[in-house]
Amino acid sequence: MSVRKREWPVALALLPVFLIILGPFFWLLMSSLKTEAEIGQANPFALPAQLMWQNYADAWQIGGFGELITNSLMNLAGVVALTLITCAPAGYALAKIRFPGREWMFYAIIFGLTIPVQAIVIPLYQVLFNLGLINSLVGITLAQVSNGIPFGIFLMRSFFIGVPDELVEAAKMDGANHFQILLKVMLPLSTPALQALVIISALSTWNDFFLPLIVLISPDVQTLPLGLVRFASTYASQFRLVFSGTVITFLPIILLYLITQRRFTEGLTQGALKG
Amino acid sequence: MQRRTLMATALAALAAAGAVTAAQAQTLVMWGPEQITEPLVAELWNGIKADFEAANPGVTVEFMPPTGNISDGAVQAAIQSNAGPDVMLTNSGVARVSTVVNAALVAPLTAAYAERGWDQQIYPWLYEELKSQRGGEIYEVPDGLDALGIWYHKDMFAENQWQIPGTYADFLTLMGQMKEKGINPIAIGPRTAGSAGHLFGNILQASSGTPVVGEALDGKLDWTDPSIALGAVRLRELVDAGYIDKEMAALDLDGAARLWFNKRAAMFVAGPWFTANARNAGYDLTNAGFAAMPSDIGAAMPTGGVGWSWMIPANSKQPELAMKWIDFILSQDVMKRRAENPASTMLYPRAIKDYNPPTQILAEIFSTASGGVGYNPSVYLPAGVVDTYFQVIQGLISAQITGEEGMAQIQAKMAEAQ
Amino acid sequence: MTSLPTIAKDTDGPSARVSRRGTPGGAAGQDGLRSALPLMLPALAIYAVFTLAPIALTLWLSFTDSRGLNTSASFVGLDNYARAGFDPIVWQSLGHTFLWLLYHLALAVGMGLGLALAIGRLKKTHVFFRTAFFLPHLVSLAVVGVIWANIYDPFYGLLNTALEHVGLGRWTQGWLSDPLLVLFSVNVASSWQGFGLYMLLFIAGLQNIDHSLYEAADIDGATAFQKLIYVTLPGLSEVMTFVVSLALINGLKGFATVFVMTDGGPFYQSELITTYIYRLAFSAQDHGLAAVLCILLSALAITITIVFNRWRARLSR
Repeated sequence: MSVRKREWPVALALLPVFLIILGPFFWLLMSSLKTEAEIGQANPFALPAQLMWQNYADAWQIGGFGELITNSLMNLAGVVALTLITCAPAGYALAKIRFPGREWMFYAIIFGLTIPVQAIVIPLYQVLFNLGLINSLVGITLAQVSNGIPFGIFLMRSFFIGVPDELVEAAKMDGANHFQILLKVMLPLSTPALQALVIISALSTWNDFFLPLIVLISPDVQTLPLGLVRFASTYASQFRLVFSGTVITFLPIILLYLITQRRFTEGLTQGALKG
Repeated sequence: MQRRTLMATALAALAAAGAVTAAQAQTLVMWGPEQITEPLVAELWNGIKADFEAANPGVTVEFMPPTGNISDGAVQAAIQSNAGPDVMLTNSGVARVSTVVNAALVAPLTAAYAERGWDQQIYPWLYEELKSQRGGEIYEVPDGLDALGIWYHKDMFAENQWQIPGTYADFLTLMGQMKEKGINPIAIGPRTAGSAGHLFGNILQASSGTPVVGEALDGKLDWTDPSIALGAVRLRELVDAGYIDKEMAALDLDGAARLWFNKRAAMFVAGPWFTANARNAGYDLTNAGFAAMPSDIGAAMPTGGVGWSWMIPANSKQPELAMKWIDFILSQDVMKRRAENPASTMLYPRAIKDYNPPTQILAEIFSTASGGVGYNPSVYLPAGVVDTYFQVIQGLISAQITGEEGMAQIQAKMAEAQ
Repeated sequence: MTSLPTIAKDTDGPSARVSRRGTPGGAAGQDGLRSALPLMLPALAIYAVFTLAPIALTLWLSFTDSRGLNTSASFVGLDNYARAGFDPIVWQSLGHTFLWLLYHLALAVGMGLGLALAIGRLKKTHVFFRTAFFLPHLVSLAVVGVIWANIYDPFYGLLNTALEHVGLGRWTQGWLSDPLLVLFSVNVASSWQGFGLYMLLFIAGLQNIDHSLYEAADIDGATAFQKLIYVTLPGLSEVMTFVVSLALINGLKGFATVFVMTDGGPFYQSELITTYIYRLAFSAQDHGLAAVLCILLSALAITITIVFNRWRARLSR
């Protein structure tokens, strides 16, 4: 009962915090609808005289955001798919198959969890270069998948360990091989873990900047964050374009999040805590 | 959009050429030009490209919009990607060119200078200068020279009866008056390293004169020597007097230029290329005036040096075609056409006959520069020094170090480089 | 968030469990390897080429004078390590990195915890606030850099202009030009993006605290503050160590906001190890020295991981 009494005072006290934390969004949205002259007046509280939706049309066209979004989506789809394809079987093998060198292999993978990608970037670049994968979405995707593999395997393995051995044994009695067990027994049980893995790898890929900065050279293969930074520095003198372009980059994912909010939150926290 | 059009044109051209001789179809990928997304610039370059393609049947030129320059690593990344350009137009200068030369990313052009007569097509002093930099080996063909000086608003100056004075002392007085009026005397965006160097180069020139700056750049004069250190001391004085707002230390070129375009700042140190920024920002170019920074030593002079150069990547797939392209760029037709185009933003590497500057401001810049141009140290300092040089300027503008301390740091790097 | 760099926190836990539980009926030895390898192979192949090999090559590079892909590199022993030791910017960037971690802990973890505590017990408005406060985390750090560079612009930015319009003009600052303020200012931007995830994790932790503990405390007549100290915070200790280690690793990877907003300036005042690596490797083409910094960065990350696993192990005992 004390809880209910406290609800509204706390909510009220949180309102200013809410305004401050989301202030940058409000300001950005409002500025993105102003004319260049209105932005030049430097009054954050002034409303635009007329909503300049044109800014969005111009930014979209000039910045080639359609292409950037497509690249980002392809990159994301590739990373998510490859992460699932590689991490689920490996996690299963490490959890349910006993083989020599298993511990050793597990530690080698765990080791990767601690190494920041910035710390291996020079040879990583050389490797990609030697494979002819610089300036290609395939190259960036493979590098990101590799970067996410330690976490992905760790997560899947933790989950599979919790699945009773009896299920595996029973399937084996029925003559199933490991691949079939994984596909027919384990995966249908692991929706929560898969969901977490999808969300976490998707979010980190969508937001990645460091690897694209180094690997993706020409504008036609760049992803959204990198494209926006380039756009913002090329058109730095036209702030209406910078602002509307910025909104374009985060609006899709925010909308997606608002729609899938519950599942998203669940996947993210469960994944992070389990992993 | 622009890119789309370019690609479409390129594809169309390719298709047309392919119909005739599929075997001979060749593509020349060119890094540059900057601001190709600006309609005026695009129009000019598409014209040049069309003429080159017409003169070389089967050849298609493809522009690769630059994502940066050598200082920020974009050029190196592009070359190393192998998806990179066959010929490049980019910001040059000793340090930048050394960076790509040392990384073996660009091809030597010394032989081509002799064989193709390029040595006859640029100013003799310029050719000598290039020869002297790397033991005779040359890796670049200068495309344009810079002339950096003070840009001011004609209307603001007329209204307040201001003018760029003849002595440095009077210059300080003028800035005092501006500050009293509530106008920032000088806007500067030192986060754009080159831009910080433009202002500082002007002050060095005004304080020490061309010969002294030249000696310091050659390493014959210690940078801590008062005769050259004076410029750094003066820059710090401008900051302490509030003539340069400390808070500008966080701005980049565009952030600072915005203050000038909106007339919240009275003066801005820049070169002819600033016309493009002004046009983008919707600034009325007829209101812009240009003058050299007042000097007590010798005549007031803008500063400059090679601003942009052509280079051929070591892994160019079309080295022969790239040379042809440079021949074409150096031809009288193309040079005159570029110089007289309203999108023109630089001085050309040789005197052009019967030349009429396309805008009033360019005419003013050319006439100011006709008496000679001093050194812009950014493009003359050795590679190991230039980054420190830029950082020191940031340190001075954010009032973290004194002029003497800053010069000592530059000197330390100079000693290392030699 | 660039790929959750979760700590190997459960290393002894689950793996110990595996050896105990394992697959009793599963054939050991060769047969196990034969069935495990095909399942492991795709992951191992990618991981070996794009992570393990680069780790080894970084080590090698740090002993060479490599200046780029097209140049020949020769072995120079410990030269690069000596150069790093004498380079004041290395030390400065290391100091900044530590300061950066502290700021990130205080701002992002602090804010995450504070807000989790504030909204954890709300009923009707819980989802609203949780959703709203998480929004910044969806923005890429690079984009956050673009946004906050404009917020901090001394002449046109949201912060200074808003202060002027509400009559607090003397509070305006050169947020990104003041040498003492710049690292903090950039970190605020990073932490604004980062705290949402920590908040969600803390909320999940709060929900796992046994409710009867609060009821017992109520019966004992404990004040709200006492409940926080004696029930809530101890109940969160598990999540706390996890969040702190996550935040430290995330902090170590800090790059995009600095790169976009200040590029390490003014006068190196916001240079981090990561931004210095980028400058050395991709602009100055000094791969040897950059590799030394890469190793320093890895060493820091490994140390943090080990220390926190120890701490965690002691806590759970």
